[in-house]
Amino acid sequence: MNSNKNTVSFLVSAGSKSRGNYQIPSNSAALATPSVLATRYSTDLMINIAGKEPKIIKGKNNEFYIPLTEKEFLTTVPALSEKSFVLISLFCVQNFEEDPDFTLFYIFRLDGFTDVFAFMRYVRRETTSIATVFPSACWYEREIRDGFGIEFTDAFDKRRLFLHEAYPEGFHPLLKSFKNGKIKAIKNPKEAYPFKKVEGEGVYQIPVGPVHAGIIEPGHFRFNVIGEPIFNLEIRLFYKHRGIEKLAEGKNPSACIPIAEAISGDETIANTVAFCTAVEKISGIEIPERANYLRAILLELERIYSHMGDLSGMITDIGFPRMTTPFLILRENIFRQNEFLTDSRFMKGVIDLGGVKKEISGEALSKLSLYLKTFVSQFESATEDAHTSSSLIDRFSTTGVLKKKLITPLNITGPIARAAGTKYDVRFDHPYGIYKDIPPERTIKIAGDVLSRFEVKAAEVLNSASLINKLIASIPGGAIIAETTEFAISNIPDGYALSMVEAARGQNLHWVYVRNGLINRYKVRTASFCNWQAIEHAVLRNIVPDFPLINKSFNLSYAGTDL
Amino acid sequence: MVNPLTYVFRPKVTEKFEFSDSELEALGSELKTKVNRVFGHSLAIRELDSGSDNSTEIEISNLAGPYYDIERFGISFVASPRHADVLLVTGAVTLNMAEAVLKTYEAMPSPKFVVAVGDDACDGGIYKGSYAVLGGVDKILPVDIKIPGNPPSPKEILRGIFSLVKKSRYSLSDS
Repeated sequence: MNSNKNTVSFLVSAGSKSRGNYQIPSNSAALATPSVLATRYSTDLMINIAGKEPKIIKGKNNEFYIPLTEKEFLTTVPALSEKSFVLISLFCVQNFEEDPDFTLFYIFRLDGFTDVFAFMRYVRRETTSIATVFPSACWYEREIRDGFGIEFTDAFDKRRLFLHEAYPEGFHPLLKSFKNGKIKAIKNPKEAYPFKKVEGEGVYQIPVGPVHAGIIEPGHFRFNVIGEPIFNLEIRLFYKHRGIEKLAEGKNPSACIPIAEAISGDETIANTVAFCTAVEKISGIEIPERANYLRAILLELERIYSHMGDLSGMITDIGFPRMTTPFLILRENIFRQNEFLTDSRFMKGVIDLGGVKKEISGEALSKLSLYLKTFVSQFESATEDAHTSSSLIDRFSTTGVLKKKLITPLNITGPIARAAGTKYDVRFDHPYGIYKDIPPERTIKIAGDVLSRFEVKAAEVLNSASLINKLIASIPGGAIIAETTEFAISNIPDGYALSMVEAARGQNLHWVYVRNGLINRYKVRTASFCNWQAIEHAVLRNIVPDFPLINKSFNLSYAGTDL
Repeated sequence: MVNPLTYVFRPKVTEKFEFSDSELEALGSELKTKVNRVFGHSLAIRELDSGSDNSTEIEISNLAGPYYDIERFGISFVASPRHADVLLVTGAVTLNMAEAVLKTYEAMPSPKFVVAVGDDACDGGIYKGSYAVLGGVDKILPVDIKIPGNPPSPKEILRGIFSLVKKSRYSLSDS
C-alpha cells in the first residue's frame, strides 16, 4: 500500500529537479497538497506574466479550473508551450454555470505531475486559434467549429472536421438550440473536400478509402507519392460519426453507460470505467475495494486481447500467416475467458455506476489465473519465434519511425509513445482505482519503429497478465457495488469532473457535466483522436507497401475518433 | 536429388490443433453442402462498416481466423465488392458513410444479397433518433437477413449466413 506514495513522490521530485531551482511558493490555499505542482507551476507563471493571482477552482478528481480573461489567456498560453506543458484536450460547453455564451476548456498536464488543469476561456461566436503554439489544438478547434459554430478567425485550417459534405452549412449539432433528431441531408453534394495539394514533377496521388480491402473500419487516406516513398499523407476520418456526445445530452447518467460502451467496441471497459469514475466523483460515490480490483482485472484483460490483435495484425501485414496463427488462437482463448467471466466476449454490460454489475466468483478468478499460466508460456514461445525470423525483423526494424519530438506537441500517448522513448502512462502519472496501490510494470523502447511497437505491445501483454495474477492473489471479498449508489445517483448534485483511463491505445479522457440530474455535456477524447496524427508523420519517406504494416502497428480506433 | 514424395509422406511439421466444437462443425458441413449447391462451391462476402463500434468487425474477422476458419466451408471474404455475392453490413448507417454504402452496393454484380450484422445495423440500435445516422441498413439497402447482437458471436454470424443461403436458394430459383 506504500507503493503509491513512493511513485508519486518519485515523480514529483524528478519533475521538479528537471526544472532547475524552481521553488514552491505559497500560492492559493486550493493548491496546498504536493500533488498539484503542475497547476501551481502554471499559476506562478501567470503571476509572473500578468502580475496577479488567478482564481482557482478545485475539481472533483485532482483537476483544477482556472477562469481567465482573454488577455491573461493569450499571454500565458505561449509560456506554457515553452515550458513543455501538454495540451491534452480542448472542448467547448454552452451555457456553463449560467454563462450566456460559450466556455472553452483547455486542459493541460505537465510531465511528472499527477494533476491536470483547465484554462477556461469565455468566448462568443468568434475567437482566436492557438494551433500555431499547440499543434494538437488544430483538430479540436475544427471540432468545436463544427459542433458549436465558433469561428477561430486566424486558424490556418478552417475545413470542417466531423461534418462531411452531407451536412448543410450552418448546422451545428452541439448547440443547445438544436434538439437531436433527423436532419435534411444534402443529396449529391457538389463540393469536394479540399485535400492538401502537392504538385511537382513525378508527384502522384493515391486515394484510398473510405471502404478498404480488408475487414476494417472506414477512413480515407490520401497519399502523395514521389516514386515509391510517401511524400505526404493526409488522413480524413469521421465517416463513422454517430453523434455520441449529443446522444448523451439530457440522459440520466446510468442510461449513458451503453453509449460509453459504444464509443469503441474494443475499449468497452476503458471508456465505461472512465465515464463511471467521472460520475462517481460528481456524486461522491466511493466504490468498494473488490469492485476496484475487478475493474482493473477487466481493464488488463481488455489490454491483452487488444494488443494480441495488433501483434497478429502486424505479422499478417507482412504476409506471414504461420507466425500469426498462435497469436490469433491465444486471442480467441482470451475472448472465451472474457465470456466465461462476464457473459460477453467484449465484456459489455459489466461496469456500472458504483462498481461492477456482475460478481465474478473466486473460483472463476482462479480458473483465469490458471489459464494465464498456459497463456504466458505459449505467448512467450510465439513471440520468441517471431524474433528469430530474420525476414520479420527486416520488415519491422527502422520502418515507420515515430520521432520523440512529436510526442509532446501532438499529445501522443499509449504503447506507441512508450515505444518512442517516453514513459507516460495514465496508470502511473494520474493513478486511478487500484493502480494507486498496485502499479503495473512499465516497458519503454526508444527506437520508435514498428519493431519497438511490436516489442512494447508484446511486453505489455505479459505485464498485464502478471498484474492480473497479482490482483487475483490479493483481491478482497465484499460488495461489488457501493450501497449508496442508487440514492446518490437519483440525488446527484450539479457538477462536473474529468477522468482519465489508460486504455490499450493510450490516454482516454472523459469530462462529464451534470445539471438537474441529467447529463448536460459529455466530452470524450480517446487516445486515437490524438494518435492518428502520429501516423501522418511516421509514414513519411516509407514506401507505400509498408503503409498497412505501419498503420497496423499503431492500430487506432476509427469509431473512438469519429464518435 | 530429393524425392519430392518424401515431402508428402514425412511427418507433418504443423502442431496438432486441439480444438473441436461439434456444433460449429455440424453447422459448417451443412453450410458447405448448401454453398456448394446454391453458390457453385463458393460464397464471396464483402464486409462493409457503415458506422459500427468496431467489435462486430473483430468478430467477423475472427470467422476467418484459425478457430472458425470458414474458408473450409466454401466461404471467403473478398477485397472488392465486384467479386462479392453478399454484402455484410455492420453498424447504423451514418450520414457520412451513406454515399459510400450505396456505391459499394452498386458495384456488386447481381444477384446480390445484403446481411445486417449487429443491433445497430438491424434497426439503428442505440443511435435511434441521432442526427448523425439514417437508422438501420434497411433504410438505404434491401436487407435479406438481420443478425442481431451486441456484437453477435462468430457462431451467430455463421448461423445468419446459413439462413441466408437457405433463403436465397428460393430467391435464386425465382429469378
